[in-house]
Amino acid sequence: MALDQLSVTLAAIADPTRRAILERLADGETTVGELARPFEMSLPAISKHLKVLEQAGLIERGRDAQWRPCRIAAGPLKEVADWVGRYRRHWEERLDRLDEYLRELQNRESQNRQPKTKEKKHGRKKK
Amino acid sequence: MAAKRNSSLNESAGRELVINRIFDAPRELVWNAWTEPEHLMRWWGPKDFTSPACKIDLRVGGKYLFCMRSPEGREFWSTGVYREIVEPERLVWTDSFADEKGNPVPASHYGMPGDWPEEMLVTITFEERDGKTRMTLRHVGLPPEMGEMAEAGWNGSLDKLAETLEKEKSI
Repeated sequence: MALDQLSVTLAAIADPTRRAILERLADGETTVGELARPFEMSLPAISKHLKVLEQAGLIERGRDAQWRPCRIAAGPLKEVADWVGRYRRHWEERLDRLDEYLRELQNRESQNRQPKTKEKKHGRKKK
Repeated sequence: MAAKRNSSLNESAGRELVINRIFDAPRELVWNAWTEPEHLMRWWGPKDFTSPACKIDLRVGGKYLFCMRSPEGREFWSTGVYREIVEPERLVWTDSFADEKGNPVPASHYGMPGDWPEEMLVTITFEERDGKTRMTLRHVGLPPEMGEMAEAGWNGSLDKLAETLEKEKSI
């Protein structure tokens, strides 16, 4: 189920080392040894992070037994991008509607009365 | 186009969504649109959503219950209490997912992934200038992953990256 996958993905990228690994892999596929170089971390520790990323479907490992190069995988990232953007988008869309509504209200008001008279609630048009 | 848009996940606060908007309407009108059910129901919810119900008890400590319905007919309720009311300048309220009776429910009730707090906080301020209203909305308490992504500077680039990768994948 998609949502479960997303939770797994989110957990996987909640770690700065793993995000750094993904950023490195965005430049192209590479080996574990190469990946480990910039980190002050043992190879087994890096391997552990890679395993988490692999289980989340965020990276793929090559079949070549000796090198097993890592490659970044697209699908789950797209899902995360959507998720991060969704909440903001919801607000934006809501505010778009508010903007429209405010315009509509003012148009109605200016049709209903001559230059600004005081608030009176008579003569409201339906529709 | 009168409405200017600008939003960001604030990096220092990490878990805060900030949205600025300018509405071509006087401040009182914008205030009413946020605080009176018959107004709020006309726009509450994303595109193509409707708002079939709304209750507002506009006083400090007073409760509200908002509802939005998706085009597929799914309803999303939210509730909370008003913390600050400075008409027509500033409005602060707590925000929780709710059921239709107004009982708070966890985000998972709506199938929302991520680590959502029980209660978020929304602050809006209104400034009037030349008959227009500048509104700033702050939504605090979003799941940490959203903040993490923003901090990593991934917010904008992620979409692009994912797109590129998708193309590569199909080769």
